[in-house]
Order: sequence, then C-alpha cells, then structure tokens
Amino acid sequence: MPEENKVYTIFDRPFGLRFIGLLEMSFGAVGLLSTVGLLAALLTGNPEMLDGLGYIYALLIFVGVVIPNLIIGNYVDDLRKNAVIAQIIYSIIAMGLSGFFLAVRGIGYFWTVPLFEIELVLAIGNLAAMIFAAQVFIIMYLVFNWDKAVPPKGAKVVRDRGKARQMKRGLVLSPLAPTLIGSDGTTELTDEDSKRILDVRKVVTVEGMAILCSNCNGATPLTKVQDNRLQCDYCGVTLGISNVFVPCENHAEFLAATTCAVCGNHFCRKCLTAQEPPIDERWKGSTIFVCRTCFEGRYRPAVTTTSFVIPIDELFSTAGARFSSVSRIYRRFLGAYGGAMKHLWRLPLQLLSSLGKGRGSSDNCTGALIMMIIIIIAIPLIAGLLLLVGAIIIIPFLFYAGLVVVTIEAIKVISRTDFQSIDSVRIQSVIKKKTPKVKESTLRSDTRSWEQDFKSKSLAVQRKREIERRERMSRRNQDHSFVGGAGY
Amino acid sequence: MSSLQRMIMCPVCGGSVIIEHSDQVNLCTYCASPILGPNQNRNCTNHPDTLATEVCHVCKDLICDDCTEKRVGDYGGKLLTIVNCSKESCIAASDWARPLNVEYQRLANMDWADKSDNFILRITGVGAVVMMIFELYFIIGMLNLQYFTPFGSLLPTGGLFPGILVIILMVIGNILAAVLLQTSLQVYVHERQLTSGAFLIVALILEAAYLIWRGLYFNLVQVPDPLFLTILLAAFLFGTMLVFIGSLGAIYIGNKKRIQMNRAMDQLNLSTKSALKEL
Ligand SMILES: [Zn+2]
Ligand SMILES: [Zn+2]
Ligand SMILES: [Zn+2]
Ligand SMILES: [Zn+2]
Ligand SMILES: [Zn+2]
Ligand SMILES: [Zn+2]
Repeated sequence: MPEENKVYTIFDRPFGLRFIGLLEMSFGAVGLLSTVGLLAALLTGNPEMLDGLGYIYALLIFVGVVIPNLIIGNYVDDLRKNAVIAQIIYSIIAMGLSGFFLAVRGIGYFWTVPLFEIELVLAIGNLAAMIFAAQVFIIMYLVFNWDKAVPPKGAKVVRDRGKARQMKRGLVLSPLAPTLIGSDGTTELTDEDSKRILDVRKVVTVEGMAILCSNCNGATPLTKVQDNRLQCDYCGVTLGISNVFVPCENHAEFLAATTCAVCGNHFCRKCLTAQEPPIDERWKGSTIFVCRTCFEGRYRPAVTTTSFVIPIDELFSTAGARFSSVSRIYRRFLGAYGGAMKHLWRLPLQLLSSLGKGRGSSDNCTGALIMMIIIIIAIPLIAGLLLLVGAIIIIPFLFYAGLVVVTIEAIKVISRTDFQSIDSVRIQSVIKKKTPKVKESTLRSDTRSWEQDFKSKSLAVQRKREIERRERMSRRNQDHSFVGGAGY
Repeated sequence: MSSLQRMIMCPVCGGSVIIEHSDQVNLCTYCASPILGPNQNRNCTNHPDTLATEVCHVCKDLICDDCTEKRVGDYGGKLLTIVNCSKESCIAASDWARPLNVEYQRLANMDWADKSDNFILRITGVGAVVMMIFELYFIIGMLNLQYFTPFGSLLPTGGLFPGILVIILMVIGNILAAVLLQTSLQVYVHERQLTSGAFLIVALILEAAYLIWRGLYFNLVQVPDPLFLTILLAAFLFGTMLVFIGSLGAIYIGNKKRIQMNRAMDQLNLSTKSALKEL
C-alpha cells in the first residue's frame, strides 16, 4: 500500500506528540490562571501594581499565552500539519522572547504580587528559563519526528475516536466518491458536467412512480425500466431495481429503495439514513439503513428503542478524566522533581553565593534565600496549589462548556437536524466535495424487545407472589403447630 | 450487449452490483441490498399472480405477504427485523430470532401520536432551552453585579469571601436547568412520556420557587439597571409557560398511551396476570 493511501487514525499518533499537546494545554491553563490571578490582584489590591502596567500584562498573557497555547495545544496532537507548523513558529517566538527576557533580566528576576493581604513572590526568571527549555524540547521533537507528527500529503486522517475504532475493524462508510459518476458507472465527472446534470435533473416526475438515482438523485419514471434495470434520465448511470415493487411508505410517488433494518417497512432514499452495521458476525452488509422514526429511537411495538438521552452525565466524567490526566502529569513531575533534587540540592547554595555578590534584581541576600526556599520547597507546593486552583477553574470551565454543548445538542434534537437522508447526504457531498460523515443515531445504543420488558415485569411479580406465598405458608405452619400444641 | 458490460449501480447506496443470477436477486457488493436479476419475475415465488412485497433474507426468494414471516433478531444489541419465507429450511435458519407478534404490533402502534409528540417535544424543548439560556444569562449577570458594580457589596456573602453564595446558588440553578432540559427531551420517548411530563411539572415548580427565592434573597428589585430584571422575568415566564403547556400535553398523551398498552396486553393475554395464571 503506498504511503499516501494509508489511512491514519487518532491511535497512530506518537506518545511524544500527545505529551506536547498536554504540555501546551497546561501552559495555557497556567496562563489563564495567572491572568485571572493578576486581574484579581489588580482589582482587589493595588491597581498601580507593576508600574501601572498590570492590565496590559494581563492582556498580553491572555492573548500571547492563553489563547495560542489552548488552541494550538488542542490541535497539535491531532496529526494536523498546520497545527504542527503553528506550534513550531509559536515555540520559536516563545523561545526567543523568554531568551531575550532572561538575557535582559537574568534568572533571579521576581515579581511581587499582592494577593488578598499576602505578598506572592513569583520567580519570573525561573519561569522564563522553564519556558525556554520546554520550547526547545518541543521544537526539537517536532522537527526530528516530523514524519510521525505530520501524515504525508493527501493522506486521510480519521480523528473521530469511534470511527477510528471502526476503521481498525476494516469498515468503510461510503462507496461513492464525492463527485458525480459518469454514465459508465466508474469515471468521475468534471465540475462543469456535474453542475449541468444537477441543474437539469428533476426530483419528481409527472409520469407516475419514479426511481431516485443513487448518483445524481434525479427521478426517472418506472415506465423506462427494461430488463429490471433503468438508465437514469439525467446522469445516464444504469441503476439496478430493488427487490420489490412497493412504493415508499411516505412517498407514493417513489419506488422504495430498500427496507428499514429496524421496522422492516419500505422507504425511498429520501426517507432512509445510513448507519453503522451492528457488531455481529451474522450481519453481512457494511451498512444498515433505517427510517427516521427508527433513527430517532421511537418505540416500535416489536422493538423498543430507548434513550433520547443527551449525555449530561458524560460532562462530569470528561471533566473528571481531564482532571485525572492533569494529576497524572503532576505525579510524574513530582517524581522527577524528587529525583532531581537529590542531585541538585547544592545548586541553590551556589546560586546563593553568586547572587550574594549583588548582580540580581534584589540587592540583598533575602532574595537569594527566598529563591532557595522556592526551589526546594515552594515549587512543588505551588505546583500543587496551582493544580488545585487549576482544577477549581478547569472543572467549572468544562462544566459550562459542556452545558453549552448540551444546549446546542438539544436545539439540534428539537430541530431534527441529525437525521440526514441518504439522498441529501449524496448531494451535499457532491457539492462540498467531501466524503460524508455518517451520523450515528445517539439513540439506539441499547435496544430491547417488548418481550424482555414483559418478562422482567412478570418475573418481578412472580417473585413478589412467591415471597408472599412463603410468608403465608410459614405463618400457617406456625398457626398449625400452635393448634397442634394445644391438642395435647 | 454494451449496456450489459456497464456497471449496475445499487439504487440504495450507489455501490456496484455484480450480476451473478439473471433470475434471482443479486446483492450489492457494498451494502448487500438485494437487486433484481435482469430476467427475474417480480411476482411471489409461490403465488405467480401476486406481486412480491418482500425478499426472504435466507434464500433470497421474492415472496408476498402470505408467505412472509417476520422476526426480530438481536444483532449485537441492536434489534433488527428479519424476513423469511415459509420454507422449512428458511424458518430453521432464522429460528434463533424471535417471531414478531403482528397482532401486538398492530394493537400497540402509536403512530397516531406522532404529530402531537413532535409538537410536545418542540414546546417543552424550546421552553427548556430558553430556561437554560436564561439561567446562563442569570449567572453571568449576577457575577457582573457581584464583581463589577457597586451593587455587589449589598449581596449576601454568608460570612465567606464575597461572591461565594452567588456562585453556589447560581450553579445549582444551572444544574436544575440542565435537569429540566434533559427531562424535556424525554417526552419524545413513548414509554417515558407520562413520567417525564409529571417530573417536568415538579421540576418546573421547584425551579420557579427557587428562582423567586433567589430574587428575594439577592434583593434584585433594588438593582439599579431595570433592564436586567425585565429580561430575566420575561425569559423565565416565556420558558416556564412553554414547558408547562408541553408537560401537560405529555401527561395527557402519555396517559392515553398507557391505557392503550394496558388494553393491548389484556387483549393478547400478555398481561402479567394472565402470565401468572399460565404458570
Ligand atoms: Zn442519475
Ligand atoms: Zn424504521
Ligand atoms: Zn420516501
Ligand atoms: Zn448498495
Ligand atoms: Zn426463504
Ligand atoms: Zn406468496
């Protein structure tokens, strides 16, 4: 298989790339936190802080750190070329800026930020050094692992997890290319030709029942059927005739294309949508077709389909998952930190002596002492606090983002936009030149038959009766023995 | 002859159909839909005068209504309809699936409610979405009042840091709105319609009471900006009204369905009472 024809899925991304994505996201989160903190400090404390430039710093952090980090971090690990390029450019800029900062201010530069009566001392110099190192790592990794981080040009990348899992099982969604097909049934038509066909084709006929073309959606009357096949009046492809001559349940003017897999009624292409087939070896086809009613999961007497459920509970679990991955990173960081400290405990002493000579921005030994404390004790402490505060910010953020998504989903459900008939999807894909995504019904994940309902109900009643019967029996036995006892 | 060499396109998915049998159905190579062979008769295999309406999933013969047996098969958790003809071998092959109770299907059919169900879903759904947006607007407005206007100093703090009570009470309001939204969509499921309608009314009363209490507790009548309160009240009243009407409809239709189901069960001797009698 040539490299560019290979389909990449989200599971093909290297671990390093995922780490970079998480790292960038956490930079963004920390940036967000510091923006909020800075604003809070400015609002509650001292508006003249940082020479009156506090608001500008907050804005700069937000625009220059939070937004790019969150956006790029979100996309960089998705095997997207543009995101990787953007990441490299951003990293170079960040590296340059933090390097410049270090050169001008030195590593021992502090900010003293008043926050709720406390004075927070931020080791900005150290932060800059850390950013510098991280960006160097990111650039090196992305450049040296370019082939793994960016799929070759033209390669298809499947980012949807569900679909990626299905790809692993070897399923394809649609057999037709997103262009109109010529009358021989194989060549793809030019844009002008398809436009001409789409302009002249009609979707209803006056000559009685019609067949809808699966290529151009044009309606050709049944009277033109010869040898159980039919040439489309508009695009000229030869269409087979479906198994039975029954009109669509909803459209008397169209021959049904096939039956709904769930309810078994006959429908035309306007009334059916394609869905992933069940994971079952008894099912041979690559797709199943269902009608709108069954797609929407409405109850059918033979087949109860339940759950018109918008996953509000998933909000909390995703928030929790994010939180636990943050804490995993933190644990790893702490471990590495502990390991490094064993060897590096001498470093602050050296720094102390070098800083004591008066080159740093603080002109006495206190600064150096504070820094020593920061390196040994305060960094993990601050990291822990940041993590906690980060969680306090991230989880509500996810919660509210989730609420908005849920509301949008609900609006979709109300306006019924999720059902896409196979004929409208076909035309959309031709117009947009994109292979269509099949929208799985959110509703049919668990189905059960009325018999199961009925059985479980009657079982429950049976059990209750049985318990009652036993109670009665034992009571009668007691009565009996009592009567018997009185007998003698 | 040249037309024979052309690709035959599946009328369902557009995949190619390879003609192997000229007097039997051929399957689409992609979606496996059955396609008539070029010389195939469209009538039932057993009744040559009757137009076929189904194709047997096992032997692929065309069959009419009289020769059709329908079953419900459990394919990996998805219940799909299976059609087979009355040949012994075909019945044996679909034996793993349960036969469809046609009479039950007829008695329990709820297509009559489709229109009203769609209407009810839209009413309650729109109402709940309005409530949701209203609560989101409410929390943003309250945070704004708390932190960016002098009114914030008048809001209760509960002895903790300013704004904590506003945040907690508002988040609870958001969660309540989310629950309302979730429930409002459940009225579309036949079997949950009645209970979700009743639940909606309870949730609505709760939400209304909670809202009024919050308004009084935060003393919102004193807010200098009159527009804030007006928008809040208008949105709330609009949303409440929609949800209320919708949930009344859901209770009415849902109860009708419950009665229909009970009657169907009784008529078919499927009720739990008759099941116990058989034991
Ligand atoms: Zn056509
Ligand atoms: Zn259906
Ligand atoms: Zn139709
Ligand atoms: Zn097909
Ligand atoms: Zn058969
Ligand atoms: Zn027959």
